[in-house]
Amino acid sequence: MRARTPLVVSAALVLIPLLVALFGPLLNLDSRPGLPYESGSGHPLGTDGLGRDVLELLLVGGRTALGMALGAVAIAYLLGGVIGLVAASTRHRWIDELLIRPLDVLLPLPSLLVISVVAVGWRASPLAITLAVAMVNVPTVARLVRAAALEAASGPVVEALRMQRESWVGIHLGYVGRAVLGPVAADVGTRITLAVFLVASVNFLGLGLSPTAPDWAVSVSRNREGLLLQPWAVLAPALMLVAFTLGFNLLADRLVHRTRRLVEVDR
Amino acid sequence: MRSYAAQRAALAILQLAALSVLVFVLTALLPGDAADMRFTETLTPDQVARLREQLGLDEPAFERFTHWFGNVLSGDLGTSLISGGPVLDIVKASVGATLVLTLATLAVVIPLAVALGILMGTRENGRLDRTLTSITLGLSAIPDFVIAVVLVALFSLKLGWLPATWVGGSLLASPALLVLPVAVLLGRTVCLLSRQVRAGTINALHADYVVQARRLGVPRRRLLLRHVLPNAAVPGVQELARTGDTLLGGVLVVEAIFAIPGFATALVDGVETRDVPVVQGLTLVLAVAALLINLGADLVCNRLVPRTELLR
Amino acid sequence: MKPIVRVSGLAARAGESILIDGVNFEVWPGQVTALVGASGSGKTTSALALLGEHGDGVSLSGQVEVDGDVVVNSNGPTAAAAAVRGRVVAYMPQHPGSALNPARRIGTSLHELAKLHAGATRAAGEAGNASGLRGAGGVVGTIVAEALRGAQLGGDRGTLRRFPHQFSGGQRQRVALAQALVCRPRVLVLDEPSTGLDSITRLQLVSELEELAEQGLGILLLSHDLDLVRALAQHVVVLAAGRAIESGGPEILPTAPRPTGAKGTPALAEPLLQAMNLSASLRPRGRDPILREVDLAVVPGGCLGIVGRSGSGKTTLARCLAGLHERYTGRITLAGQDLPVLRKRTPEQNRRVQYVWQEVRGSFDERLPVDEQVARTAQRLRGLDRQTARAEAVSTLARLGVSAMIASRPPSRLSGGELQRAALARALLARPDVLVCDEITTALDEHGTGLVIDLLTELTAQGTALVWISHDLGLVAAVSDHVLVLDAGRVVEQGPPATVMNEPCIEVTQRLVRAARVGHEPEEPPPVLTSCADTRSEPQR
Repeated sequence: MRARTPLVVSAALVLIPLLVALFGPLLNLDSRPGLPYESGSGHPLGTDGLGRDVLELLLVGGRTALGMALGAVAIAYLLGGVIGLVAASTRHRWIDELLIRPLDVLLPLPSLLVISVVAVGWRASPLAITLAVAMVNVPTVARLVRAAALEAASGPVVEALRMQRESWVGIHLGYVGRAVLGPVAADVGTRITLAVFLVASVNFLGLGLSPTAPDWAVSVSRNREGLLLQPWAVLAPALMLVAFTLGFNLLADRLVHRTRRLVEVDR
Repeated sequence: MRSYAAQRAALAILQLAALSVLVFVLTALLPGDAADMRFTETLTPDQVARLREQLGLDEPAFERFTHWFGNVLSGDLGTSLISGGPVLDIVKASVGATLVLTLATLAVVIPLAVALGILMGTRENGRLDRTLTSITLGLSAIPDFVIAVVLVALFSLKLGWLPATWVGGSLLASPALLVLPVAVLLGRTVCLLSRQVRAGTINALHADYVVQARRLGVPRRRLLLRHVLPNAAVPGVQELARTGDTLLGGVLVVEAIFAIPGFATALVDGVETRDVPVVQGLTLVLAVAALLINLGADLVCNRLVPRTELLR
Repeated sequence: MKPIVRVSGLAARAGESILIDGVNFEVWPGQVTALVGASGSGKTTSALALLGEHGDGVSLSGQVEVDGDVVVNSNGPTAAAAAVRGRVVAYMPQHPGSALNPARRIGTSLHELAKLHAGATRAAGEAGNASGLRGAGGVVGTIVAEALRGAQLGGDRGTLRRFPHQFSGGQRQRVALAQALVCRPRVLVLDEPSTGLDSITRLQLVSELEELAEQGLGILLLSHDLDLVRALAQHVVVLAAGRAIESGGPEILPTAPRPTGAKGTPALAEPLLQAMNLSASLRPRGRDPILREVDLAVVPGGCLGIVGRSGSGKTTLARCLAGLHERYTGRITLAGQDLPVLRKRTPEQNRRVQYVWQEVRGSFDERLPVDEQVARTAQRLRGLDRQTARAEAVSTLARLGVSAMIASRPPSRLSGGELQRAALARALLARPDVLVCDEITTALDEHGTGLVIDLLTELTAQGTALVWISHDLGLVAAVSDHVLVLDAGRVVEQGPPATVMNEPCIEVTQRLVRAARVGHEPEEPPPVLTSCADTRSEPQR
C-alpha cells in the first residue's frame, strides 16, 4: 500500500482555484491602476505589464481558464456518452457502425492544432473554442462509453433481467448506466486536465482570447518578460492552473486505485 | 485471406480520404476569406469581389474540392494566396525545424521513458517506484508553457547559460539552442510514456504466463527480456502514438516561445491570414503524418502481440 | 523403489494464521499420488512447496526432498529449489490454457524450454556447440516432438508456428501440458485438471494420465473430484483446513453413490412444452448450424434430461426454449400455443417458462444484494409488492440452504455454490410451469446438490415440468423420466434412463455411460446390445 497524498491536500488543490474562478469576480477589489511590474504599495501581488493589479486579475481570470475547459468536458461527455450508449444498445449493427466509424476518422488529428485552427479562425470566440475542445474529445469518450456499455449489455446479466421482464429503462439506464459510470469516473480526471491544458495553451499562444484578457494563461504569456522583475504576475496565475491540474490528477489517480482494488477483492 | 496489416492499411486510406474532406470543409467554414483579410480597408467592395474572382474563391465548393484533391494526388499542394509561391515550398522550409525538434525529443524520450518505466515496474511499490511515480505525476500536471516560461527565465535570462530564441541558421548547427525546447517537450511526454511502460511491465510481470514460465524454470533475466518486455511494450507503443499528439501540441508552444519558424507556426499563420491553400496543404501533410504514425504503432503492436481481427 | 519426492512435516504460516501443518506425502515414479480436499484446504500450497515457492508473506518449514536434494528445510526454501523447477518437477496450474504467452509462437516457447533443460543433460554436450539452436537442433527437436506426442497434439511445422489464440480452448490445455513435458520432468503436478471438463473429456484425461504414468512419470494430482481420484490414484492424502486427516490408498475415500436409472414412469399426459423440427444456427441465414431437426416434448410433472458433450448444442437448445436464442426454424409450443422468442412473449408466457443459467457469476448484477435480485422476479412477473416478494425470496433461498444473512450480500461475497442456488431461486420465484436448468449442479457439492434435487422433486410432484441439461449422464439418469442424447446438434438416442444407461446403442452414448462410471467401478466390457429400438431422430451417420 503506497502512501498517497492525503485526500485533504488533493481536494484543497482542486477547490482553491475552483472557488477563486467561481466567486472571484464577485469580489470587487476596486484597486487603482499602478506602474507596470510594480510590487507593494497597495498591490499584494504587485502589478502586471499594463499596471493592473495582479490579485484583481487573478480573481477574474479563472472563469475563462476553467470555465471553457469544464464546459467543453461536459459537452463532450453528454454528446459522446449518448453516442456511445446508443451505439452499444442498438440491435442493429449498422447503426453502431454508422455512429462510430466516422469518429475514428477524427482520432488521429492532433488536438492542439485543431483547436488552434479553430481559435484563429473564429477569433476571440470562447464558444467556438469550447465547442472545438469538446469535439476533439467526443470520439474518445464515445468509444469509452460504448466499450463499457457493450461489455455490460452483452453479458448474461441483461439476459437474466429480460427473463425477469425488467423494463427497458431498468435495463439500459439502470444496469448498463451503472456499469458505465465506473470507467467514466476513471476517465473524468484525465479529460478535465487535458481540456485545461488545451484551453490554456491556446490562450497562452494568443490565438484565442484577446491579449489583454485577464485569463490566467493569457496572463502567464503576457507577463513573462517581467518574470524576473515581478514574478507574481506570472507565478500567481501559473500556480492556480498547476494546483488545479495537479489536484485533479491526484484525485483521479486515487479513484483509479480504489476501483482496481475493489475488482481484485472480488476475485 | 485478409491479414491484420491489410485491414489496418485499408482503414488508414479511408481515414485519409475522410480527413481530406473534413479539412476542406473546415477551411471553407472559416468566417471571411483571403480576399476579406487582405487590403479590406483600402479596396472598394467591387475590387474585393474581383480579387475574390482572381483568387478563384467564388467557384462552387464541390468544384474547388475536386480541383484541389486532384492536384494533391499529383503532388501539387496548391499556391499560397499570400506569398504566391507553391505551398510545397512552405512545407519544405518549415518542416525541417519541426522535424529536428520532434526527432531530438523522441531520441531522448524513448530510451529514458522505457528505462524509467521498467525500473519502476520491476520495483513496484518500492521506495524508488513511489518517489518516481510522485515526481512523474506532479510533472505531468504542469502545462508545457509554464515549464517553458520558468526554464527560459531561469537558464536564459537569469543565468544566461542557454540562448532564448532562434537567431537564424540551421537548428542542428547550434545544439545549445535545442536544449531548452527539447527540455520543455520532454516534460510531460516522459511522464506519460514512462507510466504506460510501468503499467505494461507490471501487468506482464503478474501475468499467468510469466508465473508459469518461472515455475517451469526459466531464469529471471531471460524471463524479463523475452517474456515480459514484448508484452510490456504494447501499451508503451500505443502511448507513443498518442505522444505524437502531445508533441505536436508542445511543438506549437515551443515554436512560439523560442521564435522558431516551424511547421506548426506556418500553419497557424496560414489560418490567421486565411491563406486557405496553405492551411489545407499543411493540415493534409500533418494528417498523413499522424495517420502513418498510428498505422505504424498498430502494426508494431500487432507484431508484438498478434491478433487476428481488426482491433475496434 | 525410491520415491522421487518425499515430504514430511510440511508447514506454512502467514503471520498468525496457519495455512498447512504437518503434511506428509510421497510421489513414486510411475504412480499417482492424490491430495484431496475442498478448495482452501491447502493442496496448492503444499504442491508449490515442491518448487520452493510460497505466497507473499508466507513462511515454509518442514522437510521436502526432491530427487535427493533438500528443497525446503526448517528455515524455508533452500538454494536447491531453483534447480528443481521444470527440470524435476513441472507444475500445471488450474487453468493451464491461460498460462501461455500470447506473444510467442508455441514452437518458440517449446524450443526455449527444451533447450533450457536439455542443456543439463548429456545429449546437449554431445551436440557440442552451445550457442544457437543449430548444434543441439536435432536433440531439441526430438524432445519437442516427444512432448507434443505426450500431450496428444500434432507435431508438424504448421502447429509449431501458431500462436496460442489460434488454438481452441481444449487444445490450449494440451499445449500447456506439452510445455510441461518438454522440460523432461520426473514429477508432474496437476492442479484441478478436471475443472470445466465434460465427462467424456474427463475420461480421456484419465487414459492420458495413465499413459504418462506408464512411461515412468510420477504424478501428483490435486483435486476435489473424487471420481477422478478413485480412477487414477494409488496413494491418497486427504487434507482439510490445512491438515492431513487421512492417508492411504484409494479405499480411504467415501464410496461413490452409484447412479441408477431409478425413475422411468412413462409419459401419458399431454405434452406441456414441445419443440418440433427445431434447427438453430449461430449466424443469420442458417450459417454455422448448431441444432438440427430436434424434436422434444415434456409433460407437466415430468423431467426431461438432455445429455451431450460440450459443443453438442445442449445450451443452445435450452436457450431456444427460453427464448433467448432467436436464430432458429421450427416450432416451439407451450400448452398447444405457439411460443415466440422472449422479446415477443406475453407476460404470462414469460412467467410460465423460466431458465436457470450455467454461468452463474456473470448473471447477477454486482452492485445489488442477491435477495433483492431474486425477489425482483416475483415483483415483475407476479405483481407482488416489494415486502412480500422479498419474504418469499428469503424463504426459497433458505430452503436451498442459503441463509438470509448471506443472501443480503452482493454477489461477489457469495461462493459459487451459493450463487448457483440463488439463480435457481430467482427462476423459481416466478412459479413457472416449465423450468429449464442448464448444468446447475456443476458448482455444487453433494450437500447442495441434494437440497436442489429435493426441492425440484417436490416441484415436479406439484406439476412443474423440468428440462434438465447436463454433460453428466449419471446425474441425469438419476433425476429424469426420459433422456435425450444430443450429439453434433442431433438427437441420436433417447429413452427411459434405465434403458439408456444399461443398453446404450450409439457409440456416443456408450462413451457417456463409461464416462459417467469413472471412478465408480472397474472397466466393464461393453454392454450386450439386446434390443435397440430405433429411437433416433434421423438415420445414423
